[in-house]
Amino acid sequence: MTAQPSKASTPGVVRPPLPLGWWLLMAAVGLAVLSPLLLLLWQSLLNNPFFAPVKTVGVSAYTQVLSDPAFWRAFGNSGVLALAMIFIAVPLGALLAFLVTKTDLPFAKVFEVLLLTPIFVSPIVLGVGFIVSLGPSGFVSAWFKALFHLDAAPWSVYTLPAIALIAGLTHVPYVYLYVSTTMKNLDASLEEAARLSGAGVWKVMTAVTLPLVRPALVYSAMLMLLLGFEIFGLPLVLGDARGVDVITTYLYRLTAITGVPAYGPMAVVAMILICMALVIVFMQRFLTRTSGSYVSLGSKGYRAERLKLGGLRWPLALIISAYLLYAVVTPMAGVLLRSLVRSWGPGVNLFSALTLANYQSIFSTPDLARSVLNTLMVALVGGAAAVAVYLFVALGIQRAPKGVSRTLDYLAGLPRAVPGLIMGLALFWLFIFVPVLKPIRPTLLSIAIAYTIVWMPYGVRLITAALGQVSRDLEEAARISGATATGAFVRATLPVLRPGLIAAWLLIFMQFVREYSSGVYLLSPGTEVLGAQIVQLWSTGAVDAIAALSSLQIIIIVAVYAIATRIGVRPG
Amino acid sequence: MSVLSAALLALPLIAAPYAAAQAVPNGYPADYAKTIDAAKKEGKLVIYSSTDQASATPLLDDFKKEYPFANVEYQDIGTSQLYSRFLAEAAAGSPSADLLWSSAMDLQVKLAADGYALTYASPESKNFAPENSYQNMAFGTTLEPAALIYNKRLVKAGDLPATHAAFAKLLSGGKLSGKLATWDPEKSGVGFTLMEYDNQSNKDFGAVSQGLGKAQAGLYSSTGAMLEKVVSGEALYGYNIIGSYALLRQQTVPDLGMKFWKDGTIAFQRVAFINKNAKAPNTAKLFLDYLLSRRGQLVMANKALIYSLRSDVAGKATRTTLTQQVGGAANLKIIAVDKRLLDNLVPATRNAFLDIWRKNVKGQ
Repeated sequence: MTAQPSKASTPGVVRPPLPLGWWLLMAAVGLAVLSPLLLLLWQSLLNNPFFAPVKTVGVSAYTQVLSDPAFWRAFGNSGVLALAMIFIAVPLGALLAFLVTKTDLPFAKVFEVLLLTPIFVSPIVLGVGFIVSLGPSGFVSAWFKALFHLDAAPWSVYTLPAIALIAGLTHVPYVYLYVSTTMKNLDASLEEAARLSGAGVWKVMTAVTLPLVRPALVYSAMLMLLLGFEIFGLPLVLGDARGVDVITTYLYRLTAITGVPAYGPMAVVAMILICMALVIVFMQRFLTRTSGSYVSLGSKGYRAERLKLGGLRWPLALIISAYLLYAVVTPMAGVLLRSLVRSWGPGVNLFSALTLANYQSIFSTPDLARSVLNTLMVALVGGAAAVAVYLFVALGIQRAPKGVSRTLDYLAGLPRAVPGLIMGLALFWLFIFVPVLKPIRPTLLSIAIAYTIVWMPYGVRLITAALGQVSRDLEEAARISGATATGAFVRATLPVLRPGLIAAWLLIFMQFVREYSSGVYLLSPGTEVLGAQIVQLWSTGAVDAIAALSSLQIIIIVAVYAIATRIGVRPG
Repeated sequence: MSVLSAALLALPLIAAPYAAAQAVPNGYPADYAKTIDAAKKEGKLVIYSSTDQASATPLLDDFKKEYPFANVEYQDIGTSQLYSRFLAEAAAGSPSADLLWSSAMDLQVKLAADGYALTYASPESKNFAPENSYQNMAFGTTLEPAALIYNKRLVKAGDLPATHAAFAKLLSGGKLSGKLATWDPEKSGVGFTLMEYDNQSNKDFGAVSQGLGKAQAGLYSSTGAMLEKVVSGEALYGYNIIGSYALLRQQTVPDLGMKFWKDGTIAFQRVAFINKNAKAPNTAKLFLDYLLSRRGQLVMANKALIYSLRSDVAGKATRTTLTQQVGGAANLKIIAVDKRLLDNLVPATRNAFLDIWRKNVKGQ
């Protein structure tokens, strides 16, 4: 399918009839996104599995969920997490993006790499990392207790506020990536002008840079809200013991209370979250409705000198180091340490517990070893294909006539709203009940398709942000000199966009390596992927293998990141 | 695993009499050869299982030794996903498992009762008690005792409670606050089965569960989480932990202690059945019989470290050693593979137990 970049949206011009390309795009995205969601809608109205011979239609599942106090508790907790993620991750992420991209902050390169690490790691593992380091038996807690002669560490990682803080801090990189990508592409002449007229660093930031990247700020806030309600791994690991449930872990409760998987109530939860996602996309569209006027990377962009932080240089570096130490270095050290020992906790001599056995056992188990390779395939090849899909959708949102644009924007915002486990189940149902999809199911393609759909809100917004920064002047010029619409896009816009696309590929690659919940139902022998294996191992107790697998995950992503940086790709 | 124990584990295999491949196993009827011949003509055997591939590998390898022609595709997935996947695949008529092997006893028996299982008179049946199978459809294959695990660095052997009553007293003593890990039956199906049966078969369950509440025990939905808490010392004790998982972890973590109650240790069975519409029903029969056979149970007990269900097997994790540890067969209370498990899937029955649980543990 080729998207036809048309000039239909130029104001004041009579719109030509909708080109076929847009129709096809909208139909394809609609089919991919809506078919699992409509299936869930149907399931939410049934008292039995939709494929059962006997079933009745009704709202009993809605009554069950909505009258369950445990649901509302979980819903409230999810809300707290989502708000914490917005109010912690957005300001911090934006500030860090500004400091790293625009100022003479020392060690900016090192900070950037460290900053990104939490998004390399499965949240289940991040949770384990926090327990190994800061939990009641953690090694940091032990040092602290010894230092101040305390019986117990004066903090907990198992309470709702602690989980909210951790969720907020570990999502800073998402915001950082969105915002810094945009900031790096900004035409620096505006900032330069502000500086020359005597504005200080903070004045430049608040009066010039941040307003210019407002769409990226709004996108990231909305993404935090979406992810906040979808977050699963951290509360699963940290909230389990004290019964701090969120929407996604509440699903376990639904199944265990009936004894058999409760598809109806599960689908109801999905419906509630979809309604929320629609509201979120509406808010986002409302807040960025004038984003066209922020285009600032054109044919004439140039970069200015970095802003001088002066006396604040070192104190800021110190504060950032403290943040990185808490949110990144400590849990990562925890994971790595856990992968290298058999036992841990007070009274264990870690040196004598050191072992490489956890890694050896991975490579002696065929499915675990294979999953490393499969994960790379899905993330590299599937990731590239996903970026191409997201580019078409983003172009549609930017350029198609209003109706199509709006529809695409809403469609693309929905999939991540549904918890990965439910989305994975719905996609699995489609793969086995729709005849044309049946042959795909036992292949890696099914996993790549599922991931592409699930990560659409993230990917499309990533590319929309990059696309929004590219002025269409060049393309218009090409059109005037006689190029076709497609030709003008390929020759004028694509080259400018390419760094943004490659960066998006890198980020999607990382998400695909890490993704866990939506692949659980699609695994078959030969198509194992790391993330889903970790979920399975968590239930039977193989934390040794989990720590080793995720250390491998980190190594894969860091290696790809290093190679990408070496060949000139920057994630922002 | 240490070199020594690896060598010990290998012993029974070396010592096992050499069986010519594809011969009818000892004691099986002669017409079993037909099943073997039919299996040779079948394609791959697909197994869905909740047992980790790492634990299952010794079994799969040994099975291949007995039947070199067999081509096995083994898929490990969680109990709930396993049920969902199979049910949907059966309804869609799409390729699915030939054999299902899961620790969710109730879900396995439900699938059998709902007509998804092949009726099969296994030649191994004579070696098992009636409580080990359901209508020649669903077969118990292992013994999964629920253990009290503890951290040896932090709990002295002398302080260990000997009975449930003593444990309840210890829990109420106020010294263990926050230092306990156990199942959350409201979030885990296996946890529900264990706790509910504990309540049925153990007169002191009420006191223990109230004690768990007083001690503010952490309630978990996965074995992984609970083992990790006790290994690290964050919790001193873990209550009703699946013994085979703990035994496996003990091989690498010597600080992990495990104790079985002498006033009644409960146990469940991992249940296997053959899909009625299996594509490779004969290979599935061979595998099921292998799991139930002395040879298979020997590998379970010594290499996979899953407690054998048969009593005529010697080794590390066997019914015999377990019976000694719990102080006699009368103290081993095994959940039977039968229709009563289906009661657990009736919301009213389920809620009746959960109400007791919530009242005792959460004071609700």
